[in-house]
Amino acid sequence: MMGAQQHVDIPASLAGPAGRPVPVSRRSVLRSAAGAGAVGAACLVVGGALGAVPAAAATRPARRAPDSGRAGADRVVVHVRDARTGEIDVFAGTSHTRLRDPGLAAQLAGLMR
Amino acid sequence: MSSHREAPEIAKDPVADSTDVYAFVSPDRPSTVTLIANYVPLQEPAGGPNFYEFGDDVQYEIHVDTDGDGLPDVTYQFQFETVLRDRDTFLYNTGPIRSLDSRNWNSRQFYSVRRRSSGGTEQLGTGLACPPCNIGPLSTPTYRRLAASAVHSLPGGIRVFAGQRAEGFYVDLGSVFDLATLRPFQQLHAKYGMHVFSDPAPGVNATNRLNVHSIAIQVPIAALTGSGQRDESDPRAVIGVWTSASRQHVRVWDADRFENAWSGPFRQVSRLGNPLVNEVLIPLGKKDFWNTQPPVDDEKFAEYVSHPELARLLPALYPGVFPHLAHLDKSGEPRADLEAILLTGIPAGLIKDFQNHTGPVLADMLRLNTAIRPSRTPNILGVLGGDLAGFPNGRRVFDDVVTIELRAIAGLTYPLVAPGYQPDAAASAVTDGVGPRDVTARYLRTFPYLGVPYSGYDNPS
Repeated sequence: MMGAQQHVDIPASLAGPAGRPVPVSRRSVLRSAAGAGAVGAACLVVGGALGAVPAAAATRPARRAPDSGRAGADRVVVHVRDARTGEIDVFAGTSHTRLRDPGLAAQLAGLMR
Repeated sequence: MSSHREAPEIAKDPVADSTDVYAFVSPDRPSTVTLIANYVPLQEPAGGPNFYEFGDDVQYEIHVDTDGDGLPDVTYQFQFETVLRDRDTFLYNTGPIRSLDSRNWNSRQFYSVRRRSSGGTEQLGTGLACPPCNIGPLSTPTYRRLAASAVHSLPGGIRVFAGQRAEGFYVDLGSVFDLATLRPFQQLHAKYGMHVFSDPAPGVNATNRLNVHSIAIQVPIAALTGSGQRDESDPRAVIGVWTSASRQHVRVWDADRFENAWSGPFRQVSRLGNPLVNEVLIPLGKKDFWNTQPPVDDEKFAEYVSHPELARLLPALYPGVFPHLAHLDKSGEPRADLEAILLTGIPAGLIKDFQNHTGPVLADMLRLNTAIRPSRTPNILGVLGGDLAGFPNGRRVFDDVVTIELRAIAGLTYPLVAPGYQPDAAASAVTDGVGPRDVTARYLRTFPYLGVPYSGYDNPS
């Protein structure tokens, strides 16, 4: 099992808006998930999506577009495909990477119990 | 229908659901081809308060294969963005919309067009305005002119339009999916022992007075096939065309912002080349899978083209009407005629002065021989009617693709590959009984060729 501080393997393509790597560590994923009260049995969303509140609507740009990959490049979605084998998908912007980390997967799944 | 709501998953996602693809040499600009991909099927014109639009979160593409390998050599990519002027009104428009920059128009949509090829990606246009939907005499009083102003000229002699149009595809949907009833021949149907049809009846166009959203682009032929004169026997004159729609991999309903959040790479969820392939030939359990696949991998679906279920159903449902087809079905011989029409193109030598063959790769693409001039007297039965400028040589907006494919499946085209085969008499007569006369909105003579959309005020009437 990896240490708690060990970073998951995020490729360079998962760069943040300023070109910096998205700082996704196992701990930050867990912390964000816990803070958000969890969004699903095996799916976590990290980033802008958690910060928005309805009151902000009045100041949002008139553009109705999408909070899609183009607009939501700071969002990271973690999907535990299979907690048993540790298969984890990480999505950010228009990128995707698949990890195999049974310890992390079990820990994430454990948050939902 | 051609490909409207044809697969279980895409039927739930109308903005990404491709319904028809057209590709033809432009009759009024014969040095160009017009490529049209339709989405958002079966729109009731009275669609307020949220009138129909493209998906801002969908990547729409029209692909062109120029070398017959089933892979795109040129792709036109369209990305949409909706802009609201005022979030504090429930109205789509707050007064008459007389221009594309009208202050009265609240919910507007813009798009960009990119061209992708081996030479790289080129931005052809950005901030291009779509027209509004056709609402009614107060909101869109000059609709025809307004929509015409949404035809944009781009560098390189390209024209583009994206927005609502009248549905030009016609089909008797109500009958054909009632266990393959064809109203003009319904008295001949086995009827499962019920006495429901005793006489023939005229067809009913189920898509009449409905709208659709079209992405249309008109491109110089030379930009696709290269410069230099081509004649119709030249394989380089033939292009393969299809459309696809893709969505990002992950969707999360963001309950705090009341909208979907998308993330990850774009993945194909819909595609369309030849009409009715996924609709009628591919089995239910594979339709959504088919939608995710590129044409180059269509060999895995070839058995559904070479042994179509509908060819077996016709003799069973119309007893005694298709005896030769029944015999052909029983022989187990693959339908090489359908493979040629839908998967490889028709080789030279089978039809006088015609070929749209792209080689041995089995790929569902709409194949257009761009060297064949537009017909002055088009026949809606296309090549079957002796008009080499119509389907399956590309597809024009008025072509009767349902009848053409019905007749082909019924065996009418089998003699192309088996000259000794005698088609049933019914094979040259079978039809669902609808045609362009059953489309209320007239087709246009100029780009984008599909008719002015029906207004919500007037439809339904």
